[in-house]
Amino acid sequence: MELILCFICLLSLFSLVLTVPGDHHGDNSTRHHDYCVLGAGPAGLQMGFFLAQSQRDYIILERNSGPGSFFKRYPRHRKLISINKVYTGRRNREFNLRHDWNSLLSNRPNLLFQRVSRDLYPEADAFPHYLSMFEKELGLQVQYGTDIGRIQASGFGLNGNKSYILTDQNGEEYKCRVLLVSTGLWVPEEVHFVGSDLVEGYESIPTDPEEYKDQAVLILGKGNSAFEVAQSILGRASRIHLYSPSPVRLAWQTHYVGDLRAVNNELLDTYQLKSLDGLVEGGLEDIAIVQRGKDGGKRRAGKNRMGKSSEGKMQLYFTLSELLDRQDGNRSTAITAENLPGYHDDNFSLRQPYDRVIRCLGFRFNFSVFDGSACPPHSSTARGRLPAVTAWYEGRGTPNLFILGTAAHSRDYRMSAGGFVHGFRYIVRAVHKILEQRYHNNAWPANKLPTSQLLPWILKRVNEASGPYQMFEVLGDIILLQGSHCEYLEEFPLQALPRFSALSGRHVSEHGLLIVVMQYGLNRTDTLGPGRAESEWTKAWKSNFLHPVIYYYRTVPTEGDMRRRPVGWPLPRPDAVHHMVEDFLTEWDQPVSHSQPLRRFLEHCLHMDLRAFYAESCFRLSLTSRKPPLFCRQGYLNKEGFVGNSHLWQHAREAGLMPTHQGSVVPGDDGSFSDCLSHAGADMTSTINF
Amino acid sequence: FHRARNMCTKSTNGLVVHTAASFTENMVSGRTSFIYFVKQANPTVKTFIEQLEMSADALEDYGILIGKVNCSEETIEKYCTEEEVMKKIHLFRGPDVLRIVVLFSRNVFLFFLIFFAVLFDEVRCVHTPAELGRVERAAKGTADVVMGHIRVLGLPEHRALMEAAFVYGAKYQFVQTSGTLLLRHMEIADPSDVQACLWFLHCRTVSRLSEPCPHTLMRKPLTTINIHTFLQLMEAPLLTEAAVDPAEVDVVYSHLNVPVIFLFSRPETVHLDRVTAETLAWRLRGEAGLVLIHRDNPSVKTPLVYNAAYRLPQESLRYFTLKNVEEVVTLLRDQLLPKEREKQDKEEEIEYDWSDVLDDEVAESVYRDRGLMLDMDKVPELTADTFSAAVMQHGLMVVLFYVKWDAVSMAFLQSFVEVAHALEGVNGLDLASVNCGEWTDVCGDQNITSFPFVLLYQPGEAAQPYRGMLGAESLHTFLLLRQDPSPLELSSLAEVASFLEGDLYSRHLAHSPVRVMGLFTSADQGVAVFVEAAKSLRGEILLGLFVNKVADAWTDGHTVSLPALLVSRGPGVQQEAHTLLPSTSQNLAERIRCIVLDTFPELTVENLPWYLEQGKPLLLLFVGGGEGPLMTQPLEEMRMAQSVGQLVDVLPCWIHLGRTPAGRSVLKAYLGFVPPLPALVLSRIGGDGEVFHFPPERPLLSKNIVQWLQRIENNQEQCAGAIPEVAWDPPVPFYDFLAIMDEEAPGYAAQRSPKVKPKGKKEQPAGEARGAAGAALNPQTHLQQTEL
Repeated sequence: MELILCFICLLSLFSLVLTVPGDHHGDNSTRHHDYCVLGAGPAGLQMGFFLAQSQRDYIILERNSGPGSFFKRYPRHRKLISINKVYTGRRNREFNLRHDWNSLLSNRPNLLFQRVSRDLYPEADAFPHYLSMFEKELGLQVQYGTDIGRIQASGFGLNGNKSYILTDQNGEEYKCRVLLVSTGLWVPEEVHFVGSDLVEGYESIPTDPEEYKDQAVLILGKGNSAFEVAQSILGRASRIHLYSPSPVRLAWQTHYVGDLRAVNNELLDTYQLKSLDGLVEGGLEDIAIVQRGKDGGKRRAGKNRMGKSSEGKMQLYFTLSELLDRQDGNRSTAITAENLPGYHDDNFSLRQPYDRVIRCLGFRFNFSVFDGSACPPHSSTARGRLPAVTAWYEGRGTPNLFILGTAAHSRDYRMSAGGFVHGFRYIVRAVHKILEQRYHNNAWPANKLPTSQLLPWILKRVNEASGPYQMFEVLGDIILLQGSHCEYLEEFPLQALPRFSALSGRHVSEHGLLIVVMQYGLNRTDTLGPGRAESEWTKAWKSNFLHPVIYYYRTVPTEGDMRRRPVGWPLPRPDAVHHMVEDFLTEWDQPVSHSQPLRRFLEHCLHMDLRAFYAESCFRLSLTSRKPPLFCRQGYLNKEGFVGNSHLWQHAREAGLMPTHQGSVVPGDDGSFSDCLSHAGADMTSTINF
Repeated sequence: FHRARNMCTKSTNGLVVHTAASFTENMVSGRTSFIYFVKQANPTVKTFIEQLEMSADALEDYGILIGKVNCSEETIEKYCTEEEVMKKIHLFRGPDVLRIVVLFSRNVFLFFLIFFAVLFDEVRCVHTPAELGRVERAAKGTADVVMGHIRVLGLPEHRALMEAAFVYGAKYQFVQTSGTLLLRHMEIADPSDVQACLWFLHCRTVSRLSEPCPHTLMRKPLTTINIHTFLQLMEAPLLTEAAVDPAEVDVVYSHLNVPVIFLFSRPETVHLDRVTAETLAWRLRGEAGLVLIHRDNPSVKTPLVYNAAYRLPQESLRYFTLKNVEEVVTLLRDQLLPKEREKQDKEEEIEYDWSDVLDDEVAESVYRDRGLMLDMDKVPELTADTFSAAVMQHGLMVVLFYVKWDAVSMAFLQSFVEVAHALEGVNGLDLASVNCGEWTDVCGDQNITSFPFVLLYQPGEAAQPYRGMLGAESLHTFLLLRQDPSPLELSSLAEVASFLEGDLYSRHLAHSPVRVMGLFTSADQGVAVFVEAAKSLRGEILLGLFVNKVADAWTDGHTVSLPALLVSRGPGVQQEAHTLLPSTSQNLAERIRCIVLDTFPELTVENLPWYLEQGKPLLLLFVGGGEGPLMTQPLEEMRMAQSVGQLVDVLPCWIHLGRTPAGRSVLKAYLGFVPPLPALVLSRIGGDGEVFHFPPERPLLSKNIVQWLQRIENNQEQCAGAIPEVAWDPPVPFYDFLAIMDEEAPGYAAQRSPKVKPKGKKEQPAGEARGAAGAALNPQTHLQQTEL
C-alpha cells in the first residue's frame, strides 16, 4: 500500500477485503499493482525505469516476447530516421541527448543507444536490441507474453476514483490503481473507398525492390512511410505517384520531425527533375481504385498483339466513386472507359494505370481493448487516431489512466516531438513527477537557488538542457520567484500551467514566476533564404530558429488565459517576455548578446539590480547605502565576497564602472598579496599579462 | 595685526610666514587669512604661489592676510603631514578654523580669491534646512535670496556664483551650500548627481512669516552669463500682456535668449486665460517668458485654430494648439530646450543607449580580458573520467567548479590560478578545476548549484565547502592555515606561552596573528566539544589545545577559571581570557569567531562583513596615507575613550585610506567632500542612516569624542549627511519586447478575444478539410497537380 492519499487507502483496503478470495485461490487470481504499464515499448520501459527508481509497485505487461516489437517490423525498410549523432564534440551528457534521438533516460551514463549502433540513421533491429538491453540492465519488471484483451474501469464511485482491471489471454486479471497505457500506435490507418481491397498496405508490401521492377506504383500518403517506400523502389519502379489530401510538408521547413525528413526525400528530386515521378493532392474518401485488363478499353480483333506475358495481368486505375455510378445507378462489374477520369479530362494527372497501389497512411491507437467507461475519447486532432488526453496526459474522463508515448501525441501533434522517442522520454519523466506528487505527496523536485545565481543557472539550462530543447514549446522550466531566493523546476508541461500548484505541489509566491521555453520563431521567412536568422539581440523576438524565450507572470495564468493565448504561442501573453537571440551554434553564453540582456530582463521582473560587484565595491556600497545590492548581500555580506585582482579592477576602472581613487596615496595596489606570497616562500609567477 | 606682526615674520610683499606658534595664535584670533603649507617647491603650484604672494599686499587692504607655513621647518599637526594638504589653500576665519579648501587649479585665480574674500560676508554659508530657514525668515518682505549649491569649491561654477554675488550682492541675499542635505530639502531627486545648481527664492514678495518663499531652480549650467540671464528673468514680470500680433511683441525675454511662449486670450475668457497663463508662467519661470495676447485687437492676426505660439531664440514664430498646461511644459522641456542643450553640451541628457556596453563591472572586466589565455597548468581540468580518482588521492584536493558564461567564475579562476602558483611545491595540496558547462554530471553529483564554488576533498572525509572570501589572498591563507591540524595539541605550559606569543608555528604569523588556546585540566571538561569546534574552524583561526592538570597553574593571576579560552592578538599584545561554558561545538565555534573579532578594528574590504554584522553604529576614524604620530595618536585617543567604557553603543573602528582606498569614496559619500584627515565620523548605518562629522577644528581627544557622542545622543549635533536608502532597482531601463511586438506586429502578442472560438488551429491544417469530393475531383475540372 504505497499510495498515500488517505481515502484511496481506505477504499483500497475495503476492496482488498472484497477480493481476498480471488487474491489467494484459484488460477483466475487477480493480481494487484499500484502501477500497470501496458506495453514494453520505449515509453513503457521509460516509465518502468522511473517507477523502479522511485521503488514503486509496478508491472509492465507486454504481449510479445520482447520489448519494442513494433520496431521489429517497422519501419519496413529497416532504417531508423531518428538522429543518432554520436560525435558532438562535447562530453556533456545532457547536451549530447539533444542529438541522440534514440536513447532512453536513465541514471546509467553508458546506457545509451550508441552502444548498439554508431550510425547516424541506424538499422531498425538495433532499437529493440537497445530496449532489451535497457530493460535487462535496469532490471525492469516486464511480464512478456501477456496479451491484455480487455480493460475495464472499476469505479469506487467516490470522486470518480477509478482503478482498472485488465484481463489477459488466459483470463488472468490485473487490478491496477493507476494504468499507464504505452501501447503505441500499430493499427494501420485505413480509408475505405471503392476498391480499397485492391490496395496493399505498408505493413505487408514486399520490401524487395526487385518485386517492383518496371512497375507503375501509386502510393496513398505523403508522409515518411510513403517516401520511405518510394525511396526504396525508386531504382526499380517505372513511375511512382504519391497521392494524399495535403501537400508535402518538409521537416526542415516546419521543424516538425513527423513531417517529411530529408533522409527519405529523394523522390522530390526525381519529381522536380521530371524523371517520371510525381506528387498529387486530393482527398481520399471519394476515390476509387478499379481493375482492368492490361490493354484496357474494348478489345478489338487481333487482341493477342501484346504477347503472352501480360495475359491475365490486371491493372489498377485511379478513378472517382461518382464516375462509377454514372450510367444507370448500378455499378457494373465491368469497368468501361467512361468510368475513368481520363475519358472526361484528357490530361488528367493520374490517367495512366498502375501495377500497384500502396497505402502508407500511418497508424492509429487501438481503442478496441477498452470497455466503455475505461475508454478515453478520440482526439480532436490527428483525425481522431489518438486518444484525447489532458495537459498532464491523463485520459479525458478516465482518471488514473494515463497515456504515454506516441499515443499521447495529440497534445502536440504536428507541433513538437511528443510523438517520438526523443520527445516523449521527457514527457514520461514529467508524468512520473506528477504521479509522485498526486499519489505519494512528493512535490516536483526543485533546486533552491539564491537569486544572484539565477542568471548563470538559466544560462546553464538553455545551453545544455535536452528536455526543453527536444520538447520545445511543450515542456518548460519554471522558476518560482521568492525574493532573495527562487525555486527552479525542470520540464513542466506548459499546457498544465493553470493547474501548476496542484500538479507540482509547489507554491507560487506573490513575486510571480518565470518560465524558460525553447521556441522556434514566426517562420515567416524562407527557410534557406536570406535574412533567415537574426543576430541582433534587440530583435531577438524575430528569431526563426530554436531559441530560449523567458516568460514572466505575476500570477499563474488561468485556463481562460491559456485558451485565449496569442495565435501560435505556447503560453498566454505574459507580463514581460524576453527572447534570447537565436544562435548559430546554439550556445547562448556570450556576455553582450545573451547574458546581459537576460540579466536586464531578470532585473525588470525582480525589481532589483542583479549586477555582480567586486568586494571593494561591496565594501563601499555596504557602508554608503543602507541595503547594498543583492550580489553584495548574498556574497560579500555573507562573508563570501568576490575579491578579484588588481588587473581586473583596472579594467573596471578604465571602463568607468569602478571609481578610481583619485589623489589617494595607494602604496601599490597589489602589494599586499605579493607580500604574502613571498612569505609563503613561493615564486609568484603570475600568468596574467599586465 | 600689530600683535600678529610681533609673533611672525612678515616678508616684504606682505606675505606672512607662520611659525607653529603664530599659526595657532592666528587660528584663535579669528582673523581672516589664507594660509598655505609648503614642504618644498612644487612646480605645479609655483606660479600660483607667486601670483598669490604678489597680491598679498592688495588683499591686506581688504583685511585679509596671506600666510605661509614652511612645513620643512615647522610641523603643524593635520596640515604638514599630509600630501593632500599641500595642494590646497586653506582659509581660516573665526573659531571654526577651517572654512574652506581651495583647490589649486587653473580655474582659480587671484581674481576669484579677491572676490571670495571680499564677499565673505555677502555670501552666507548654510548647511542645513534650518539654517536656510533662518536666512529666509530674515529676507522675507525685504529681499530675494539666491542660493547656489557648489559641490567642490574653487571650480568654475563657484567662481561664477561669486562673480554674480559681486554684481548683485546688494540686491539679493546670496547663500552658498555644499552638502547634499539641502539638495534633498530643495527636492532634488538624486543629490549625488548634482555638481552645482542655483535657486532663486522669491522672498521679497512674501509678507507673512509663515508663508514659504516660492523658489525657482535654474535649469542651466552655472556660468556667469547663465546666472545673469536667470536673474534678469527673475526680475522680469511673470506675465506680460499685449494686444498686438506676437510678431510685434518685444519683451525682455527675447533679448535674454530664452524662448517666448504666447497664449491667446478671448475677451469672454480673459480671467480664465490669465489664470492659465500665470500657472504656466510659474512652471516655466526662468526657462521661458510668457506673453498673453488679447485677441480682441484687430492687429492680432493669428488664425483662430491656434491658441498658442512660441518663438525660440533666433527662430521664427511657430503656432500650435494648446490643450493643457502640462503639454506646453513637456514641449518646452523635452523638445525645444534639448535642441538647444544638445548644441551646448552633447554629453548631457542622452537617452539611454542600448548599444552593447556592459554595465556590470565584473562582466566588463572579464570581457576586456577575452583575449587572455589563462595558463591552467597548475589547475588541471578534471573530467568525468578523472574526477573520482583525483579527489580520492591522498592529500588535500581543492576543486573549483565554474561555468564559462559566469563572469564571476571566470574572474575568480584567475585568482585560483594565482593561488595554485603560490602554493606550488606545498606537499599534499593540489588545486584543480571542473568546467560545469561540460561536466554537468560531475557537478550535479557534487550538488553544485552556485558558481563559482570551491570544494575541499580529503580522503576519508566528506567534501568540505570553502566558505571564505573568493579572493586569492583569502583562499591562500585558508589553505596554508589548513595545513596544520586543528586544534594543535600542545604538551606544556611553556609551549602554550610560545604558541600564544607567536613563536610556535611562526610561519602563520603573517597570515593570522590571532591565536586561540583551549586550556583544560582534564579531558572530561568538554574537550571533545572544543576539538569538534576547532575542526570546523580549521583554516579560519589557528587554535591550540592543552589538556593537563598543570594547566591549573595558569589561573594564578587571572580572574578566569578553567576550562578557558585564551586569545592572543599577536606578539606583545595583551592576551584575553574567557571562561569556557558547556555548549555545543557549533555554538562554541560561533563564540570563538566572535571572540577573535577586534574591539577596535581597522576595517578592510576583507573584514567589514564581520563587523557590520554586529549592527551597531560605526564610530569611524578615517586616517590618511602615512604612518606615524598623526595616525597613531587619534587611534590612541579612541582606544582611551573605549577603555573607559564610553563607547559601548557604537563600534569604534578605523579605516586606513592608504590600505583601503575605497574608504575615500565612503568618506566623500558621507560628507559630500573629503575633509582633512584624520576625520572622525559617526555612521548610524543600521539605524536611521544619519552621519555625523566630528568638528575638525576640535582636537581629537578622547573626552571630546565622548562629549560629541553625548551631544549626538541628545540631538544637539547637526548631522552632516545621511546614508541614502538606495533601492537598487534595475540600473537601466527595461527593453520591452512586448511593447516592440505590439508596435511592429500588432496583434501578434495579443490574447485572442474570448468570444471568438480559436480558429485555424495549428492541428487542423486547411489541406485536410479541403475534401476530395469537392471541385477538385469534378471530372469536368482538372485535377490540379499542385506544384510545391
